[in-house]
Amino acid sequence: MAKILLVEDNEMNRDMLSRRLIRKGYEVAMAVDGREGVDMARSGDYDIVLMDMSLPEIDGWEATRRLKQAAETKALPIIALTAHAMAGDRDKALEAGCDDYDTKPIDLQRLLGKIEALLGQST
Amino acid sequence: MTERASPRLTSERLITGRGGLARRQAALLRLSTAIAAAHDEAAIYRSVVTGLHDEALGYNFIGVFVVDEATGDRVLKASVGWPDVPVDWRVPFGKGLSARVLEDGKLHYTADVTRASEYLPSLNSGSEVDVPLRVDDATIGVLVVESSEPNAFGTEDFEILTAAANQGSIAIGRIRLLTAERRRADEHKALLDTMQDLVGELELSRVLQAVLERAVSLLGVTGGEVAIYDEDRRELVVVASENIGKNSTGTRLALGEGAMGAVAETLEPLIIPSYHEWLGQSGKYADVTVHAVMAAPLLIGRRLVGAIATVHSDPNRVFGPEDLRLVNLFAPQAAIAIENARLFTSERQRAEEQRALLATMTDLSSELELPKALQAVLERAVTLLGVTGGEVAIFDDATQELEVVASEHIGKDSTGTRLKMGEGAMGVVAQTLEPLIIPSYHEWLGQSEKYADLLVHSVMAAPLLIGGRLVGAIATVHSDPDRIFGSEDLRLLNLFAPQAAIAIENARLYTAARQQREYFETLVENSPVAIVTLDREERIVSCNPAFERLFGYTKQEAVNSNLDALITTEATRSEAKEYTREALDHPVHGIGRRSRKDGSLVDVEVLGVPVIVDGKRVGLMGLYYDITELLRARQAAEDANSAKSQFLASMSHELRTPLNAIIGYSEMVQEEVEDLGHDQLSDDLQKIHTAGKHLLSLINNVLDLSKIEAGKMDVYAEPFEIGVMLDEVTATARPLIDTNHNDLVVRAPSDLGSMHTDLTKVRQILLNLLSNASKFTERGTITLEVSRKAPLTEDGPQLVSFEVSDTGIGMSPEQMDHLFEAFSQAEASTTSKYGGTGLGLAITKKFCQMMGGDIQVESASGRGSTFTIRLPAEVAPAPAGSISD
Repeated sequence: MAKILLVEDNEMNRDMLSRRLIRKGYEVAMAVDGREGVDMARSGDYDIVLMDMSLPEIDGWEATRRLKQAAETKALPIIALTAHAMAGDRDKALEAGCDDYDTKPIDLQRLLGKIEALLGQST
Repeated sequence: MTERASPRLTSERLITGRGGLARRQAALLRLSTAIAAAHDEAAIYRSVVTGLHDEALGYNFIGVFVVDEATGDRVLKASVGWPDVPVDWRVPFGKGLSARVLEDGKLHYTADVTRASEYLPSLNSGSEVDVPLRVDDATIGVLVVESSEPNAFGTEDFEILTAAANQGSIAIGRIRLLTAERRRADEHKALLDTMQDLVGELELSRVLQAVLERAVSLLGVTGGEVAIYDEDRRELVVVASENIGKNSTGTRLALGEGAMGAVAETLEPLIIPSYHEWLGQSGKYADVTVHAVMAAPLLIGRRLVGAIATVHSDPNRVFGPEDLRLVNLFAPQAAIAIENARLFTSERQRAEEQRALLATMTDLSSELELPKALQAVLERAVTLLGVTGGEVAIFDDATQELEVVASEHIGKDSTGTRLKMGEGAMGVVAQTLEPLIIPSYHEWLGQSEKYADLLVHSVMAAPLLIGGRLVGAIATVHSDPDRIFGSEDLRLLNLFAPQAAIAIENARLYTAARQQREYFETLVENSPVAIVTLDREERIVSCNPAFERLFGYTKQEAVNSNLDALITTEATRSEAKEYTREALDHPVHGIGRRSRKDGSLVDVEVLGVPVIVDGKRVGLMGLYYDITELLRARQAAEDANSAKSQFLASMSHELRTPLNAIIGYSEMVQEEVEDLGHDQLSDDLQKIHTAGKHLLSLINNVLDLSKIEAGKMDVYAEPFEIGVMLDEVTATARPLIDTNHNDLVVRAPSDLGSMHTDLTKVRQILLNLLSNASKFTERGTITLEVSRKAPLTEDGPQLVSFEVSDTGIGMSPEQMDHLFEAFSQAEASTTSKYGGTGLGLAITKKFCQMMGGDIQVESASGRGSTFTIRLPAEVAPAPAGSISD
């Protein structure tokens, strides 16, 4: 089953989303800030990253840029999750290197669709 | 670069309004000046045609026809815009549109020539004005003005063309009169020349010499002299001299000087028995050996024309009463000879003066300065008519009075005198519009008390008319009781009347133009907007007080300086120079920053427009309006608005984070509970979940609206299949539609194809409309109909129409009025019954507009509603912030 790295600082969101993904059969690892997220992505063996954008330490934009610049994590798909729906967020996320973008609150069916689409591409 | 709005809105309208009238007046002024200066008929026709072919008047097809008296044909004398029609082209009697003018002597307008029974072959369609040229109540020709457009002419054109035709007619009448007069004057002079040859004896000095010789012989005196009186110099001039010891011919004697001077003064004969003892002798005769002298005045009636003197050098001879009787026989002969000669000479002079005058007269009417022009006309009239003096008055339309503006030798300066209609000689002719001769003014009953103190004997007056319209009056007077006015004088006066009339008319036009100019100068002087004019070299020509106040330079400092050097800094110079350069060509409008004399900066709205005189760009006009306060206010408003948007954005974010948890956990727990079979709990969890979703949609709507208002909502255009999108939307809407047991009917042809626009927004719009329809309809039908529509304009985009109709409760017209305004549901009570924020339709409408489309609604209470959306199939993204209701 696919391994998901969920980078999310809000405990409730992290708990809720991870449990629902696990219920759907995914294997989920979690990081609580951007730095931890980057470190885990580099050392671990993940199929996809769900990246919150407003994170402590280093934010989601920067974490994504770092992962996409490094050769070993360049191909790792990243879906940006943001509570901001302000104009420009989508462009900003894609510009930073995110492969897709979704807004919170999470519509699980929609998010699963996006995950499966990216996993389908990468395999 | 500073932002620039379109300059068309205010500047061009302003310029056209002003330039138009002033330029038309200037064109008419040029036209009448050219006509007045024309010296022959051909030149008048050309002046009329070229004068009307003026950019400011806009006439492009113009012709002047003159009637051939022999055949009745109209013969083309001058034209513009008819390249194929030669001069002297003839239109046969009775043919063509302009024939009607010859029948009744009136202006005719044909709004559409193709509908007229007969029209000129030079034009296939359009409109035509035919204006009569009338001289002495006869139509002598037609002014024809055409346009290739139907209905091209109006009342103002009729006035302009009638004025031009009248001016031309007057000038033609004047030239014809002048030509006839000149011919008559030539004949007259030839006759006099012949007469002079035939009656050579008339030559004065010879006649007088003969008279003198006979007198000397008859009286048995030694010799004598005859002198004639020079009225102008009040001196006697000796013209015949016989045996007085020297030839005294040419000697001039003042009144009272010598024997002849004495009798010229007393008008009585005089005998001087011993000349050498006489105290009155003149030094001019000191060398003459004369013993006794007898002198007598030469009189016509009581008027002095000369003097005669006879002398004895023999000391034994004296003059007695018998000698006096004899000299009294000769004196009248000599006087009559002198008077005849004088009349003959003056008659010849008059003929010569008349020729000279007629040759130069036509120049007069081009003089624009009215009193000067009229004084010149009057002086020449006085000279030509040989009268004592005269007056010219102009007619004041407003007060219906005449005002004397030129006065010459009538015994006082009458300039400024005002006469009512019917008052005095000029008042009478102004009323009757006929000339008048008053043989004896003091016996005339109509005299004005304003002239009671004048020694005027006879008066001749004439009205001054332009095309039958009174513009003034002229009067000439004789103070000499022997002179009276005859028909010849009247004929001569009639030569001057049109000259004076044209001069007055020209001056009136000139004054109107000047008043117009002064009016606009006053506007500029008092304008709160700083106004500056520049020449083509961008030097300041003038500036108004507002300019002085705004920039701190006095007019003296500003004039002749380069504008951009004066009020720009390094930072703004190139931008300002660009404005100046462009404004020489076309109007420019923008906002910029300029510097004052003290170096401080001021934010200004700038308007630059080219100044065009007679079709030539002579410079530009710059308008500066201080917008410091406006900018400050705008900044404050923007700051406040930005703070509001920021607050809304962060508030909705802060609200959504906990809401995420509520929706997410309730959904997740519900899934788990369902797995465990706790149905009762599942229903409660569903209610939490639904309430959470509703709250979220409210927050999202508020956020959307605040983004739209802040100009931060963008359009993301992407291509998508319309059919696929419809499937998604109907699937999402299905639970909503089922809630009130409604049926959904989708009518969409299979070949709808794709759109390239903001998919998310289209989806949101359709969901919103379907959601509304479901909400306000129960056990009814909701129909979604989609079709492609032709563009609204020729180059407009292809449109896709989405129509959502329901069979629900509908709306009254009053409810529909505020339907698309934010926070307005049809009634407050509906909110509690049906839910919703009242923001959905406001957002929907804004979204439609952002994508270049619009939304319309049709509804009636109880009969359901139909919302129709039309969107361009391909969006041309509107710039953020440009959306308005």
